[in-house]
Amino acid sequence: MMVKRKIIKERIPTPERPVEERLKGFMEVNLGYTFELAVQEAQRCLQCPYEYAPCIKGCPVHIDIPGFIAKLVEYKDEPDRAVKEALRVIWACNTLPATTGRVCPQEDQCEMNCVMGKVGDKVNIGKLERFVADYAREKGIDDELLGEMLPEIEKKEQRVAVIGAGPAGLTCAAELAKDGYHVTVFEALHKPGGVLVYGIPEFRLPNEVVEKELEKLKRLGVEIKVDHIVGKTVTIEELLNRYDAVFIGSGAGTPRLINAPGVNLNGIYTANEFLTRINLMNAYRFPEYDTPIKVGEKVIVIGAGNTAMDAARTARRLGAEVTIAYRRGEEDVTAREEEVEHAKEEGVKFEFFLNPIEFIGDESGRVKAVKFMKMRALEEKDAKGKRKIEPTGETVILEADTVVIAIGKTANRLIVNTPGLEVEGGVIKVDENLMTSIPGVFAGGDAIRGEATVILAMGDGRKAAKAIHEYLQKKAKESA
Amino acid sequence: MYKILEKKEIAMRNIWYKVHAPHIAKKVKPGQFVIVRAFENGERIPLTPVMWDKEEGWIGLVVFTRGKTTLRINTELKEGDSFLNIAGPLGNPAPMEKFGKILAIGLYTGVVEVFPIAKAWQELGNEVHTLHVTFEPMVILKDELEKAVFKHTVETVSIDPNKSFPENMKNVTARAKEKVREMIENLKPDLVFMVGPVGDQKAIFEVVKEYNIPMEVDLHPIMVDGTGMCGACRVHINGEVKFACVDGPSFDAYTVNWDELIARSGYYRDLEMKAMQLYMEKLQAQGGAQ
Repeated sequence: MMVKRKIIKERIPTPERPVEERLKGFMEVNLGYTFELAVQEAQRCLQCPYEYAPCIKGCPVHIDIPGFIAKLVEYKDEPDRAVKEALRVIWACNTLPATTGRVCPQEDQCEMNCVMGKVGDKVNIGKLERFVADYAREKGIDDELLGEMLPEIEKKEQRVAVIGAGPAGLTCAAELAKDGYHVTVFEALHKPGGVLVYGIPEFRLPNEVVEKELEKLKRLGVEIKVDHIVGKTVTIEELLNRYDAVFIGSGAGTPRLINAPGVNLNGIYTANEFLTRINLMNAYRFPEYDTPIKVGEKVIVIGAGNTAMDAARTARRLGAEVTIAYRRGEEDVTAREEEVEHAKEEGVKFEFFLNPIEFIGDESGRVKAVKFMKMRALEEKDAKGKRKIEPTGETVILEADTVVIAIGKTANRLIVNTPGLEVEGGVIKVDENLMTSIPGVFAGGDAIRGEATVILAMGDGRKAAKAIHEYLQKKAKESA
Repeated sequence: MYKILEKKEIAMRNIWYKVHAPHIAKKVKPGQFVIVRAFENGERIPLTPVMWDKEEGWIGLVVFTRGKTTLRINTELKEGDSFLNIAGPLGNPAPMEKFGKILAIGLYTGVVEVFPIAKAWQELGNEVHTLHVTFEPMVILKDELEKAVFKHTVETVSIDPNKSFPENMKNVTARAKEKVREMIENLKPDLVFMVGPVGDQKAIFEVVKEYNIPMEVDLHPIMVDGTGMCGACRVHINGEVKFACVDGPSFDAYTVNWDELIARSGYYRDLEMKAMQLYMEKLQAQGGAQ
């Protein structure tokens, strides 16, 4: 007789830091599960079969989700073993689970089709993944597992160059290193991690978590060269002479600006500059850290994506009164729901249907207000399925001494200008195997998509690693 | 980590560093710069390689003490120590063309940027006249420039100890304007090129404009990454927003929105002063700067 499982409808909540405490610093907001809570949540999973499980289909790197969750339940009396076995399952597809567990929009991916959603709350897959990674890191279980995996890697002679140490590049590098290739990553900034270290704030993803996760890559044999700007320090052509294949994961780092008068007034930052100063350079700890930042009393953030939420919540932590101004309506906001909720809890104000048309400055050249055109929504939808908007003719002026522009980014220009590299709409053109117009050169992540998500970039990195592996095997056979 | 092979004071507040950085030495061209981070809690600052050796893999940097980071580098780093990060080469190389007769002007340590460009222009067959205007104890690269170009002129201004540094700087500006006017009258150059503080660049441009001579300037807006990903260094050029780190640093002086650039360059002055002040106090507490 089948054992009848009791269905637990409600999700086990994860503790969060109270708002007053959060606003005092950059400490992580969500505190994550304890082992006991994780096991309780794991027990809610219905264990859909691997071939069918909709959660796996929703994950861009296809982690065996019921598989790792089952390990937590199976070994619930031996926490260390439970975590080790769960991590083994996750690592087969994803080497950066502490990161993805925190920053993936699970509600649009793995959790979107979770069957539990039909009877209650969906299983909290992201937080379970994060728990496994965090517990393993704290107890050194990840090092142990890595130690077991390393001797099994069969070293190959071929060498692969990876451009960009962001989510796409790091994932590609990790997968190729697991296949035994010699991998060298070229990174322009002084720290690897890409958007994980310069963009996403510490209150969502502590830099320490990223650093520890990257140490694993080094143990896998991945070499990371910082201060190397491909296109300047070294060209793709030169890399092709020294490496058997190249992966471009250079991201979408060029900020879009607003073509309005006054855009170069002092106090107007792109979100990239604002967040880089804070996250990468620790400017919020000036003068202990040397990089300065100036945030006034009234900050306007323009845009309503995740970057805008990050900038707004960062500015709140620096003591400012913050308003997000978006040209569309509340239902068109592209940021994750969780981030919007956190922003609201933390006192960020929202103004909708406002499109900036002029930045007004004082006599010293510092911004003091923003003039907006009021917009209205139309029934008609645009190519992306969003409601079209049109100006009403009515304008409004909001005071601000700091403005952060977070309206999106385009592909890195230094890479896009590579001779022979076909580019379409500002992003690198690739075939179904993620190979670019240059044979042996592959690309993925925001460099081919424009601005997307961390996990999609990682999915591309993984897919490209497979394609590179096949390409190199074929190449080796041909030369043999 | 980039090892300091040699460090020496070549003039007041001007320290020369010969640094092991083969990835840059191999690639750098006149007009390009690097971004340096010297300390774990430090900031990223742009500097210009003044000379380099591809084979031996080193670049030469001159660090002028002007704020906390440069003072800290010049105080704390010794021969044998290392810079944590040097990224580059960045920016576009200076255009290597036959312009004819060129007047290349460097104010203060700006002459460091002038040197490699002027030298390359001269080697290409241009008749290059260089002008270095600075305070008396700050003359650098005199012998090197005399050897490298058609004619090198040094104009010095003495420091009046009874006046503040900014007051003294006004004398440099005035002298530079006079001297540039005189040299333009005599030489009738086909191109003027200038590196120096942005206010001085504007002042000199006003003079050059009267003669309607083409003028190129290397701009120095505030930079963070230096690779085009943040836009801190943005400037309006002919009404269009450009990023100096990827579109420059060299621009046609006639197209630059000078007042905007001057305002942007001074945005952090109060915090810069504060950082410097605190560092000086720390040094004093430790028994003074060496």
